[in-house]
Amino acid sequence: MLQKPDKIGHSSHVVTLDVRPQLLDALSALRERVAAARFPLPLAGAPRARANRDELLAQLDDYLVPRLKAPEAPLLAVIGGSTGAGKSTLVNSLVGRRVSEAGVLRPTTRTPVLVCHPDDHLWFAGMRVLPDLTRVWVPQRDPMDPGVNGVNGENREEDDEDDAVLALAAEDERALRIETAPSLPRGLALLDAPDIDSLLANNRVLAAELLSAADVWVLVTTASRYADAVPWHLLRTAKEYDATLVTVLDRVPHQVVTEVSRQYAALLTKAGLGDVPRFTVPELPESAGGGGLLPATAVAPLRAWLTHRVQDPEARARALTRTANGVLASLDTRMPELAGAVAAQHAAALRLTSAVDEAYDAEHARVRGRLRAGAVLAGGALKRWRSYPLDCRADELLDAICESLEALLLCAVTAADERVDEAWRREPAAGAPGLADRDPSMENAEHRIGMAVRRWRRVLEEYAEDEVRVLQSVERNALPDPETIAALLATALLGGHRARVAGEVLAERIGAQTAVRLRDRGAHLLIGYLDRVLAIERERRLAPLDALAVHPEPQAALIAALSVLQKER
Amino acid sequence: MTAVTDHTEHDERGERSGSPDRFAEGPEEAWDDGLIARRVAEGRQQRLAETAVRAYAPSRQPPASYEGPLCDRLDALRELVGLSRTRLDADTLAEAGRVLDESAARRELSGRHTVVAIAGATGSGKSTLFNALAGVMISDTGVRRPTTAAPLGCSWTDGAAGLLDRLGIPGRLRRRPLQGPGADELKGLVLIDLPDHDSAAVEHREHVDRILGLVDAVIWVVDPEKYADAMLHERYLRPMAGHAEVMFVVLNQIDRLPGDAADQVLDDLRRLLDEDGLALGEHGEPGATVLALSALTGQGMEELRESLSQFTRARSAAARRIAADLDAAAERLRPVYVAGASTGRNRGRIGLSEEAREEFTDRLAEAVGAATAGEAAERAWCRNAVKACGDPWLHLWRWYEARRSAEGSTAPLAPGPVDEEVTARQRVEHAVRAVADEAAAGLPQPWGQAVREAAVRGAEGLPETLDLLAVRAGVPSGRPPRPNWWPAAVLAQAAMSLLQVIGGLWLLAQVIGIATPNLGVPVLLMLTGILGGPCVEWTSRLAARGPARRFGREAERRLREAAAGCGRARVLDPVAAELLRYREVREQYVRVTGARAPLW
Repeated sequence: MLQKPDKIGHSSHVVTLDVRPQLLDALSALRERVAAARFPLPLAGAPRARANRDELLAQLDDYLVPRLKAPEAPLLAVIGGSTGAGKSTLVNSLVGRRVSEAGVLRPTTRTPVLVCHPDDHLWFAGMRVLPDLTRVWVPQRDPMDPGVNGVNGENREEDDEDDAVLALAAEDERALRIETAPSLPRGLALLDAPDIDSLLANNRVLAAELLSAADVWVLVTTASRYADAVPWHLLRTAKEYDATLVTVLDRVPHQVVTEVSRQYAALLTKAGLGDVPRFTVPELPESAGGGGLLPATAVAPLRAWLTHRVQDPEARARALTRTANGVLASLDTRMPELAGAVAAQHAAALRLTSAVDEAYDAEHARVRGRLRAGAVLAGGALKRWRSYPLDCRADELLDAICESLEALLLCAVTAADERVDEAWRREPAAGAPGLADRDPSMENAEHRIGMAVRRWRRVLEEYAEDEVRVLQSVERNALPDPETIAALLATALLGGHRARVAGEVLAERIGAQTAVRLRDRGAHLLIGYLDRVLAIERERRLAPLDALAVHPEPQAALIAALSVLQKER
Repeated sequence: MTAVTDHTEHDERGERSGSPDRFAEGPEEAWDDGLIARRVAEGRQQRLAETAVRAYAPSRQPPASYEGPLCDRLDALRELVGLSRTRLDADTLAEAGRVLDESAARRELSGRHTVVAIAGATGSGKSTLFNALAGVMISDTGVRRPTTAAPLGCSWTDGAAGLLDRLGIPGRLRRRPLQGPGADELKGLVLIDLPDHDSAAVEHREHVDRILGLVDAVIWVVDPEKYADAMLHERYLRPMAGHAEVMFVVLNQIDRLPGDAADQVLDDLRRLLDEDGLALGEHGEPGATVLALSALTGQGMEELRESLSQFTRARSAAARRIAADLDAAAERLRPVYVAGASTGRNRGRIGLSEEAREEFTDRLAEAVGAATAGEAAERAWCRNAVKACGDPWLHLWRWYEARRSAEGSTAPLAPGPVDEEVTARQRVEHAVRAVADEAAAGLPQPWGQAVREAAVRGAEGLPETLDLLAVRAGVPSGRPPRPNWWPAAVLAQAAMSLLQVIGGLWLLAQVIGIATPNLGVPVLLMLTGILGGPCVEWTSRLAARGPARRFGREAERRLREAAAGCGRARVLDPVAAELLRYREVREQYVRVTGARAPLW
């Protein structure tokens, strides 16, 4: 997996250190696609997919794109590790003065600190890398200033302007403090990251983001931690991304240096990381205590290694290429994973939609069947019909039928909703906020259905009036009352077989042909209104889901962007 | 891996210890973020299904006894689990079952002993502390990580074999402390040295998780480097915050810290524990004991011995641990027994309100058409009255009017085929749904579902029964009963007609010449008859209104009551029974919680 980095550009997978516009275009297209991916449904894999996307974005924005755009930019080495591993002390010792707070209380580093040579300052002051982090610029102090008794001295020297800057940073959680130190070689920047297993979740995320931005990963572990799960996962991650990696075994008591470092080496070799440069820093009183500096000799080998990476063009190119390639190669697996998560989202959304569709379709069929069977003409409506026309007026009959129809439709809608709830209870995706809570919509459904039925009745009455008017022009006397015609028509339409009499009477009153025409029109109207009522309720039920806009397109787009990138590579 | 040779019976509950430990599932997710930290979770999936061997030797020791309230709470939990088994799935009740089993298992074993586990991260010095407490070099210490692979037991007093069996610690891993003046102090202590909870070796973590669920108390060993590890706090301390009373948190290796840094770190550790929700045992309040010491130099060890000795002498750790487990289990079960803030009419009150019952009856009555049936009966009665007492001329005129406007519109329509579905199915369905929703409001989901199911089950066949009832209890066939004044009205109407006839005949007779001409009286008679007829009709119509309404109301009432009775028997009673069951369960739950906190 580790290519023999003898020369640059020896393999198809190597990114040369020239700017390649096509590759950058492909990458930025891919970045847009990744940024557009959304995982709104609370599926099992969604939090992970969200984290993956954020990570990927961070890696693209903070590392890959800026690195490919500006291959000549300084090398960024990020110091990462678990709490109390002595990261800050290590950075301070490498720089030769106290730039990052160290201490016995955990977590120590809350605001990450980037240290670079004053000449490289411009590279990091802008938003080229880590654009999400607000820069806090601490002015260059006199190089002769010991600076060790840090914060107090610092505060005293600062003028008002800097106070303002610091205050601003205090408000904003995500800040990056930039320090310059002439003691660092040109072209090298060190970043002291927060703990990767910090108790503060924000810190953990930030640490991951910072590591993603690194050209060189410097992973720090300690004598008491080297077998811990957390550092090992970090190491495996670095291996997975094939990043340029250095490990530092920190805080090793003098007595056990050889044994511990031999053990650690054995573990590394076992994990396939045997060729990773390994540095051991002994535990000195300074490293535990007030966060002082370790003597230069303690960190000299690491410093020499880093300096070599920067000053030897070949070594530098090798380090850069390896990390960049690693990230590029990791896209091959991460993009399909992301696309899979998008597909899972879409599939879940489809399942939810189809549950709604199924429920409403089933209810629609049921209502149609009940209508055919004459279920509307039951209960009160049936009693009215029985007493019509002796003890009941036509408008009363029509009222009763409309009420009964309303009840039937409302029942269908509530039953459909219940079915949907039942089906959705088994779907984890239905837990998305706003999907399940149907605020006061039930009353509204009643209201909407009532409106629709009343409108239907009005149209039916208009039909009856039309027919009567036509009859008026032909016939001379004994015109039937339009209201009676409407009531009989409604009964005939909704009463099923038990209202056959109504049809017969209707035919008698206005003639068989007219009656048939009227009934056809009425039936059409009824079906139309029924469909519309159920469709509207279904739409309302699906509206929150539609609003989440879970589409299948992003999946294809992600894969397409990946394959364009693969071609460019 | 922990084969035990000197035990006879294998407990069938042994399998349960392989089940996912209680700390693992919940917090894992919260822990799972970030690029690197998230990966920690992956290794856990490949955990081995472990079959720990547990066996209980017959105990010669006085068993651990739980005091009254705890016993009561355990009984309540047992009853609660029994009552809930049909309503809740086994997974939900698994934790409660585990607590019950463990409490029973612990109760059978020695109450004189206190089992204390030493847990901590790699290299925090668990084994060093263990050795320091035991006074002899029992547990291997070293720089090689991880050092301790299997849990090690050490008992200060005899008779702890059963307890160690329960933990699955084999005989070869059992040790004795150095007998000396210090040993007496810790009488009754059984100390367990655990492997690291955070090492890369997954099986170590499993050991730790399993044993932590079984011991009476835990000493958490942290060191200045690792005291703020996310894994320790999020995976163990936060979920176990309720167990603070049986917890010691020991900051080891203070010899590595210069000057007053130890105090600073200890304060910071206290702050973190406080943030974890752990009650700290300061100022004599119950809670976790936090100490700083160095096992290597012996600094602070005396203090730990002192508190441990007090702790073991109190012999209450087992009960307190069970109580804490019970609290945790009850808290976990809370969502299935206590609903969150509910809205609706019966918020904070379980049961069907009178309005809801009334509304249900109304809906059922509507479904059978009680109101319209009553109205129809009333009108029919009225019509009959008018027909009987009506003016014949008016009758004739009305008949002619009707004929003229539209032929036969008032003729009764031929009755259709016999109705088989008299009841409006949709209204019954809606009524049942509404009443079930009303009853289920404010109930936790499983119980609400049970109520709904009971309602739906009861509603099966309800429309058919209502159909039958509607036919049986509907409008009585035959002639409606007549009021007392009816004959009088009929008589009066007849008299009016008679007057007309007499007047007419008299006039006719005068015209023919039979009678003496006297215009006044016959005309008056006829006029009286002609005017009186409508008057009588009008009065009797007025008079009929009351009885008609009574008749209609009676018809409506009968139908309504029949429907209501049917609905009550089939739907409301089962729903009420289900609600009663829930109330019973909730009372048990309140007993389980010990009713310390107001629940609703």
